[in-house]
Amino acid sequence: MNIAIVGTGQTVHAKRRTDVSQVGLAREAVVEALADAGLTMDDIDSIVVASGPVMFAAVNQPEKWLVDALGARYKPVVRVTSGGGTGLAGALTAINQIKGGAARRVLVVAYDKLSEGALQASISTLYDPFWGREFAVGIMGFAAAYWHARITALGHTEEAAAHVAVKNRHNAMSNPKAHMKKEVTVEEVLASRPLCWPIKRLDVPPISDGACAVIFAADDDAMAITDRPAWIQGMAYYAEADNSADRSMLQSEPLQIAAARVYKEAGITNPFRQFDVAEVQEPYTCFELSYYEGLGLCPAGGAAELVMSGATSMGGELPVNPSGGCMGANPIGATALIRLAEAAMQVTGKAGDHQVPDAQRALVQAGGGWANLRGVAVLGAEK
Amino acid sequence: MIKSPTRRVAVVNSAQTVLSSSWSDRQHIDLISEAATQALKGTGLRIDDVDFVIDSGSDFLDGRSISNCGFLGSMGAHHKEESRVEEDGLWALNYATNKIAGGSASVGLVIAYSKPSESNVDDYWTSLLEPFLQRPIGLDQYSAAGLIAQQYLAAAGLTADDLRAVSERAWANAVRNSNVDVDVVPTDEAFWNEDIATPLRRADMARPVDGAVAMLVCRAEIADEISSRPVWITGMGSAIDQHFLAARAPTSLPACEAAARAAYRMSGDTSPSDYDLVELSANSTVGELMVLEALGQAEAFHGIDHYRGDSPTLINPSGGALPADPIMATGLVRMHEAASRLAGRTGYESNDAHRALVHGTGGFGMQNHCVVTIEVDA
Repeated sequence: MNIAIVGTGQTVHAKRRTDVSQVGLAREAVVEALADAGLTMDDIDSIVVASGPVMFAAVNQPEKWLVDALGARYKPVVRVTSGGGTGLAGALTAINQIKGGAARRVLVVAYDKLSEGALQASISTLYDPFWGREFAVGIMGFAAAYWHARITALGHTEEAAAHVAVKNRHNAMSNPKAHMKKEVTVEEVLASRPLCWPIKRLDVPPISDGACAVIFAADDDAMAITDRPAWIQGMAYYAEADNSADRSMLQSEPLQIAAARVYKEAGITNPFRQFDVAEVQEPYTCFELSYYEGLGLCPAGGAAELVMSGATSMGGELPVNPSGGCMGANPIGATALIRLAEAAMQVTGKAGDHQVPDAQRALVQAGGGWANLRGVAVLGAEK
Repeated sequence: MIKSPTRRVAVVNSAQTVLSSSWSDRQHIDLISEAATQALKGTGLRIDDVDFVIDSGSDFLDGRSISNCGFLGSMGAHHKEESRVEEDGLWALNYATNKIAGGSASVGLVIAYSKPSESNVDDYWTSLLEPFLQRPIGLDQYSAAGLIAQQYLAAAGLTADDLRAVSERAWANAVRNSNVDVDVVPTDEAFWNEDIATPLRRADMARPVDGAVAMLVCRAEIADEISSRPVWITGMGSAIDQHFLAARAPTSLPACEAAARAAYRMSGDTSPSDYDLVELSANSTVGELMVLEALGQAEAFHGIDHYRGDSPTLINPSGGALPADPIMATGLVRMHEAASRLAGRTGYESNDAHRALVHGTGGFGMQNHCVVTIEVDA
């Protein structure tokens, strides 16, 4: 059985969407995805809701509220949550529902309305209340510590990371859904205010309100819905326990495990050459460098050279984040599904002004938690 | 429903901690690892043989964002595929079953846990309500259950006193259940007679408890190899109702009916009378009657008949959710109880049932329902 993405939709992402509630935001993306697929809610067998941690917006199990806005009464609705990578975890749930015979057409909707909650305070509750929370490091603190280690061990310099910011913020200029549209230079990134050194203001994406919806179907169902399905050639989502003694953050082990598995499924042996485009979820610029190595796009220690060569810019051999990535819009719970939707748009030629010409195969990376949940997917114009 | 070449999936073992009003001397990870370790014990499988982990728990109850992150080690999920289903554990089992049936994996560990003693349970329930219309008017889980109960009792021609039989049966069964920390049926006057949300009394409402449950599921070839009596998952269905309480049917649970229909259909068009054992979840005595009716185990407004004299079906021999409701894990505990009885595991041999119906619920005022059918080979 081959499963495809047959429709995608995204809201206009913004710093603060005061015109809609959480459920209105989700509905906006769903309406667009249904229109893209030429379907109505009556055609949908099952709905998977993927959103950021519930404390972000202070509504417990918000999928229960979404039911009314989506017209999902009496359908199966389940919420899957996995931090920032939750959209990809939700997509994997949908794929398993179809493969397992429980549904034929599954809608996944992911969203976050971060303007309505205390984000950093909620994120800090990730940590163990007895021995982890006292440090109050949030996400930025540990990310900075690990980046510092990678600067020393792998040469992921501040300048290389600045190139990621410049590239992604430039790409976002061509994405009509992007929230942040302002070009920056390497010098501006390096001179921007340190928030938690080496992370500086312009290494950090915006915080957004936004939603994304994606519709999945298999084989003949997919072909009946659209003449341009984006076929899923592989998808996996792996975890790493926080308290594992052998955990190394120089390279992400769950990312390497997920990539190895998905590449095997998709027949990828030389990722840099075999992919035409990649969409990765970069909560800070330093993460994109780390992903290049974890995904095998370059050898360990090669990420700085790769980004500075321009190979991952638009027009390069493997453009990474033509959408602008998280630098363009960062509604955390939706960002992973946005990466998947953007990859689907690329391989179906629907990406408009940020289309990579003739993209046939796309790589997707997403993740969440404290960088311990990592997912990878491969999409193709062909099965 | 698609007819695809899916694989048969079985529950080969399961385990739970004692359900207790407060596990004050043990943390979440202690409860989770006890259940997970016991679920593997005796199967010949080790944690390395498990392909993936699907878990249920609540960030709100745990007081932690992405709380599964903190428990991955105790769940044995290190370097495995893992997903958090933030619904009752029966939905997590649903996910795991699909993953194996579709051929994506062979062995899965399903875990659900709850530690409401560390949290404010009232906040858990009221935070489920959308914040604009229902939350500001002071609706809570008690008043919602009371409003539903008033309508149900009036339509059924029952009184609040009639509900005592439901609660007494549940607590008496819990006393016999070594997995529940109840030694005697409560006798105090307030418990049985004091209104908590007219017409409901304390005895009519589910009691939140701490606990964890873990279940090992795998594809047929492995199940046949490691278990003398695998419990086959034959059907699954789930459906959700609208969120707004006032928009829902007043005296029935159509979402539960839809979930049951889907499960019966998937299990080869079985009918309610094909099942010897029912383990169901409910937030109140009236909720239990409404679920029985939605499952087709009683005519509308006749759920009470099961508690008046002998019932043809064994209903909640574990005691069900009224004496012990580990919120988020309740449905998976029902599955553990039912599967253990069908398999005739030690301590559960008393019944010769071979088909069981298992029900889980979630959301405010039982908005969401999941039904799973299981059986053992005759």
